[in-house]
Amino acid sequence: MATVLQHGVEYRLAEDGRSTGDASRLSMLLAALLAGFGLFGPPAAAQYPERAIEFVIPFDAGGSADIEGRLLAEEMGAVLGVTLVPVNRPGAGGALAYSYVNDADPDGYTVMWTSTSILTITNLGNVPFGFDALDHIGRVEHQPLVFAVATDSPWSDIDSLAGDCGNRGRPIRIANSGTGSTTHLGALAVMQEVGCEAVHLPIGTRRRNATVLSGEADAMVAPLTGALSLFRAGRLRFLASLGADRNPIIADVPTARELGIDVEFDLFRGLSVPMGTPAEVQARLADAMTRAASSDAFQRLADDLGLTVAPLIMGPFEALLRREDARVRAIIQSADTLTP
Amino acid sequence: MTGDLLQGLLQAIQPASLAATGVGCLLGIVAGMIPGMTISAAMIIVLPLTFVLDPNVSIGLFLGLYAGGMLGGSFSAILLNIPGTPSSAATALDGYPLVARGQAGRALGMAVSASFCGGLFSALCLFLIAPRLADLALQFRSADLFSLVFLGLTIICSFASRSWIKGLLSAVIGLAIVTVGQDPVMGTARFTFRDPNLLSGVHFLTALIGLFAIPQLIENLHGNSPGGAIGLGVPGRPGSPDSPGSPGGRNGTAPAAGAIELRKLLPAFADLRRIRLPVGIGSAVGTFLGILPGAGGPIAAFISYDYAKKATGRGDRFGQGAVEGVAAPEAANNAVTGGALIPMMTLGIPGDPVTAILIGALLAHGLAPGPLLFVERADFAYGLMFSFFWANVFNLLIALAGLRLLVKVVAAPRTLLMPAVAILCVVGAWSLRNSIFDVYVMFGFGLLGLAMKWLDMPVVPLLLALVLGRQLEENLRIALTGSQGDITMFFTSPFSALFLGLSVVSVVWSVVGARRQRAP
Repeated sequence: MATVLQHGVEYRLAEDGRSTGDASRLSMLLAALLAGFGLFGPPAAAQYPERAIEFVIPFDAGGSADIEGRLLAEEMGAVLGVTLVPVNRPGAGGALAYSYVNDADPDGYTVMWTSTSILTITNLGNVPFGFDALDHIGRVEHQPLVFAVATDSPWSDIDSLAGDCGNRGRPIRIANSGTGSTTHLGALAVMQEVGCEAVHLPIGTRRRNATVLSGEADAMVAPLTGALSLFRAGRLRFLASLGADRNPIIADVPTARELGIDVEFDLFRGLSVPMGTPAEVQARLADAMTRAASSDAFQRLADDLGLTVAPLIMGPFEALLRREDARVRAIIQSADTLTP
Repeated sequence: MTGDLLQGLLQAIQPASLAATGVGCLLGIVAGMIPGMTISAAMIIVLPLTFVLDPNVSIGLFLGLYAGGMLGGSFSAILLNIPGTPSSAATALDGYPLVARGQAGRALGMAVSASFCGGLFSALCLFLIAPRLADLALQFRSADLFSLVFLGLTIICSFASRSWIKGLLSAVIGLAIVTVGQDPVMGTARFTFRDPNLLSGVHFLTALIGLFAIPQLIENLHGNSPGGAIGLGVPGRPGSPDSPGSPGGRNGTAPAAGAIELRKLLPAFADLRRIRLPVGIGSAVGTFLGILPGAGGPIAAFISYDYAKKATGRGDRFGQGAVEGVAAPEAANNAVTGGALIPMMTLGIPGDPVTAILIGALLAHGLAPGPLLFVERADFAYGLMFSFFWANVFNLLIALAGLRLLVKVVAAPRTLLMPAVAILCVVGAWSLRNSIFDVYVMFGFGLLGLAMKWLDMPVVPLLLALVLGRQLEENLRIALTGSQGDITMFFTSPFSALFLGLSVVSVVWSVVGARRQRAP
């Protein structure tokens, strides 16, 4: 065992640096750290982007997730000196795109704009592999899910809503973006915690907000960015944020944890590549991702949308994924059935 | 308020904004004409460009694309019988027969005038009564939307009047096809055979290209005059003659390329008078259905076509080249654009996929469409409305100026035109989701289209079922989930009851009409 001290961080290296998966991940991390600090670019990676890189977007063209991905791709292209070509592969909640990237050559010329959906899709069994079938470069940003009601609804906090559960002659109806989506799982988890048997309406992103405003649904769980403009206009009230900490954009909204509800659900987006992509290439991508995320243009877009830009690369990101994966699996397993 | 209004007007008539709107219209018309090239795709292509443009200029470009694309889609539907966009499928029903009779200029002229009126009407609604309309649209719940879609489906009857069995069978095939993919409520996979490509079902546009274009291309293989395809254009189109040779039908009787009427390019006054009612119907229906999130262009076009057919008293001429049959769906699909902008502007809720992109594009400029837009950036909000108005004006001018060029498309040598169309079909099907699988699906639908033609089965019911099937199921099941299986709200909700009542009228009308036609 050799011990290396780098920037005050101590790493233990195996005798043969490449023999174990952990060690190769470690060397990737090192390379990324070095590249991140701008000390040197690994020699192998100097040749890496020789041609355009396919930037796979698992969403329909034009949504805010798509536009954000496109901007990141553009900024990364400026760092890497080649074009990242955004290619939309929507469908089946991202399953098509994940399958495509899983089958792609691990040469660094296929990069994917990943989201939390990789955890829901794999755990629901919509693709025949787990989230760890891909290598993950890092997280770019995150945002909390919010639990929202219309401003003219009678509930000002989750307790009063839970108190009305079952006393109104009909169940509480909660809209989400689709069965098995993160918003659905978030709503399931909250209702489980407060002990309310609600009806979950998988209404889809396009009509989700409208059903809450019309009263067809009593409440909804939505990504912060999807509900922010109606919140600011005073049409929606946020009863709780499901994030780990209070979000500065909605500083007055308590987190579920503060309310004694043991639910934590942050949505993230980041980059993934096919399993086995060379470590130097991954490090190069991680560096470009981090720099693109801190570019002025990207920061401005994130501010407008309500996203928290917080790049997190490789090792720590993998740890986060593993933790979130367990959480998602627990929610899916504890719900008797995902059906409404 | 007046200050913002004036500011908005000034922003919209800046030379750069006007130029962008005009360029947008031109690009939109071209993109719309290419089968499989959607307005959404065109918007995505110009999106990076708008990152560097001023928001007022970008919005002009986008709105031009939106309005132009709607019109361009109709051009290929009319000229080639291949709808460039889903919303223009209804236009082909009467547009192509008009071309077959050598009246390409007249058909296009009608389409352009009707589109202009429809677009202008919706622009006025957007400007004058947007907030009130948006609040009305908010009252629509899943049960009401189900009944609306159901009403849309009853239009099948008016296309099935020649043979009920074949018509309904065609619709059932369509409804069966839309069950492929993820179950909208449970999320489980249905009929996907473990192929992830089938998880999101069949894309409507893929099916549309296959069903319309492939039979059309095959038809052209063995008829080398431009009239070759004529009379068999839309398989089993309504009331199409029982004897294959009646109106300009038989191969060879159609005019040769040179005979196509180029003189009458400007719409005749008599024609304009004739399309007053259909345009009125199309404008109102289109604007209103545009507002409802999810209803969209194709259903508006088909409903308007059907209502115009019933209301003008010239129903027997529909399907054989009636200008009213071109005008109604054209007015409707352009009215949808203004309608869809209403919930986007007032609530930040997209009315259709294109406005969803528009919201994203505006967000990239730091402008969040929604109730706050009028408070924070009223000048921009009014600017957007004026730009939309200009987009419609440019549409009219560009289209009228380009008509002479456009009608030549029909006169182009088939040996050049048809291979080009074939390539565009493959590229179009592929580019929707960047998937070669969709190209196979497109060819599969081509075979289905040929089989249906051979069986003399109407293709429109299949098409309607494909467009509406998924919404029908989604809204029905979500409504029933919400009410826990109680069906009374379908009859107690005023909107739902109205639509169901209209459905009954629509069915009875078609049945009685068909019986009366057969009686003599």
